[in-house]
Amino acid sequence: MAKTKSFNPKLRLLNFNASPAEAAPQPAKSLEEQIREGETKLLKKLDQIENKLSKVGNKRNPADAKALQQELKALREEIAKLSTGPEPAKPKNLMATHHVATDFRSQLSRALFRRILGYRKLKSEKILQANDINLNPATEEVDEFGRDYKFEAKIKPISDFFYYKYWRISTHGVENVPHKGRALLVANHSGTLPFDGPMIRLAVNNDHPARRAARFLVEDFVYYLPFVGTFMYRVGGVRASQDNAERLLNKDHLVAVFPEGQKGIGKLFNKRYQLQRFGRGGFIKLAIRTNTPIIPVAVVGAEETHPLLYKSSLLAKPFGIPYVPITPTIPWFGLLGFFGLPTKWTIYFGKPINVAQYGKKALDNDLLIHKLSEQVRHTIQEMLVDGLKRRKSIFFG
Amino acid sequence: MASTSNSLPKVVAVTGSGFKATNILQRLDRNRSIHKVISLYYKTPKLRLSRTKYIHLDLTEELADAKLAEILKKEKVDTLIHTAFPITPPRNLSFAHELISVGSMYVCNAASAAKVKKLILTSTTDVYGPFADNPNYLTEKHPARGFRKNSFIKDKSDAENGFLRFARKHPKTIVTILRPCTTMGPTVDSFKTAYYNLPVIPTVMGYDPLMQFVHEDDLFRAVESAVYEDWPGIYNIVGQGVLPLSKVIELTGKYRIPLSMIGLKAFVQTLWYLDILPAPASYIDFLKYICVATGDKAELEMGFVAKYTTKEAFLSFIGAERLRRVHLVEA
Repeated sequence: MAKTKSFNPKLRLLNFNASPAEAAPQPAKSLEEQIREGETKLLKKLDQIENKLSKVGNKRNPADAKALQQELKALREEIAKLSTGPEPAKPKNLMATHHVATDFRSQLSRALFRRILGYRKLKSEKILQANDINLNPATEEVDEFGRDYKFEAKIKPISDFFYYKYWRISTHGVENVPHKGRALLVANHSGTLPFDGPMIRLAVNNDHPARRAARFLVEDFVYYLPFVGTFMYRVGGVRASQDNAERLLNKDHLVAVFPEGQKGIGKLFNKRYQLQRFGRGGFIKLAIRTNTPIIPVAVVGAEETHPLLYKSSLLAKPFGIPYVPITPTIPWFGLLGFFGLPTKWTIYFGKPINVAQYGKKALDNDLLIHKLSEQVRHTIQEMLVDGLKRRKSIFFG
Repeated sequence: MASTSNSLPKVVAVTGSGFKATNILQRLDRNRSIHKVISLYYKTPKLRLSRTKYIHLDLTEELADAKLAEILKKEKVDTLIHTAFPITPPRNLSFAHELISVGSMYVCNAASAAKVKKLILTSTTDVYGPFADNPNYLTEKHPARGFRKNSFIKDKSDAENGFLRFARKHPKTIVTILRPCTTMGPTVDSFKTAYYNLPVIPTVMGYDPLMQFVHEDDLFRAVESAVYEDWPGIYNIVGQGVLPLSKVIELTGKYRIPLSMIGLKAFVQTLWYLDILPAPASYIDFLKYICVATGDKAELEMGFVAKYTTKEAFLSFIGAERLRRVHLVEA
């Protein structure tokens, strides 16, 4: 920091150990000048920070940028007050000068430090890290579902590249996701490889004002695969099972589920955007049991990243997976082919559906549960159709 | 399920002579409210406790059940803790079957003949088995599927099932089955600690499962509370938190070699026969898939919460291992 460099060493000399002979060549005026210089430097730096932040804020989230700008304004005013405020009485001797200087310095530094710390917190806690307070980890390495904070922060630039640059994801209706408390995001599953889970997670993290961290459920077979399974654990995926989902929801988490499961992700290209059967209504039972609102989510654009042309079960046998997908990029482009085509994605968040109102008695009423599950399915299908109507081009949205 | 104070044990017998039996005996020996503690050992114990009576018992010999019943009747044993299991999978599978599966059957027979009030079995969470489709936190209601691939675990499951059958037949007897996860601590000596003691630690390439440990003190605390209070049923005894295998190996400060899955089974099996690796190939899945249990039931019913987290339990083992290496602790 500039101020420590410019003020500290000489002041210390003056304060404690300096003999008058040594201190004599340091006139009082120069000290004041130094303070002024340090101040101007700080102001310049603040300006730079402000510029940077406004650039960042304008792009990503206007609400954030506003908050940051207001804070900065307040900071600048305070500093201006300090510098132009009541003029210190002219010191008579060297010691008095020093006292005034240290007082001024401490005031300035205290105010500055508070602000700078505030920014750091804002940056690290709100923007980079998601608010996973509830999954309090007993070990600091990973949380109880195997999510690695450090690893996630490390790959955040890469995932942001895919979010902002590669698939250029835009979101609609994120405000339907509650700021606090549990919610079940029910989405369509598509795209051969389960990228839509991480992207929904990123969408809630990047575009929602509360920066919530959604956990997404992943099919069983992913966890049989080397590398992919481990990766999914580390970035916040959870194996799809009633136990896991219930545990997460009871801790007031956002959970994204894909009731279509493997049928949805592995449907051929000619069946794109046609929702498959929604399991056996397990997610409705889950929502009723845990008293959770359901938020329908439609992901448009993910189907075309990996147009599934053929499923080869013969090639899959040695790997222990259900099938090897044949798409325009897999397996022709090797590892690069896994990311598919750069289509434009849009994620629509619908209005919350309250199924908990039916009460726990509804758990035994299979007809009602099937009906509710069909209702949610229709809502998502309509959202998909709407989204497809609005879309003009696959690659440019 | 409430505990009753009038059923405080008077004579407690402990089978086995491993680290579990030794530690439990030490703890019970200290408690003056217990009249007599009996050790039914197979290997001659290194240290003899003052108040404990030592009796030799081989559960693999013929008519071991009759002999055990005689001892139990003669000493008027009311609580029997069964820990006589090999911790490490022995190379002689038929011996393991005799000792674990048939031995537990003998114990059940003897207990029913001598009308023992309480039976406690220390099993392991390995009986759930490592599977990719396990939920992240296995509860006691989850089926124990570990026997499908592993004959050593199958024997343990057999023992558990024998005890559960016994509980159904004798509803007045309190049968407690404790399932601790991988136990770590300064005195633990098992094939899992041997794995972390290898000079370089082999793992499976592309897999990094979550691990869970419980400290030995916590396990013995749980056993003690099962001795003094009545907790019929199965309880998972686990430490809080999980660690990925890679981080666990980082804590040991050693290198790991990720091995490719191709031909790994044959390779590991060969090294096991050559006495280089501590576990057979059927244990590879523990390095691939998750097998983590939740201790919610023990917390809600027994009020048992592990004092050591997973990481602390492992660090205590590592610390003792360092001291052992410079001969500050007896091996």
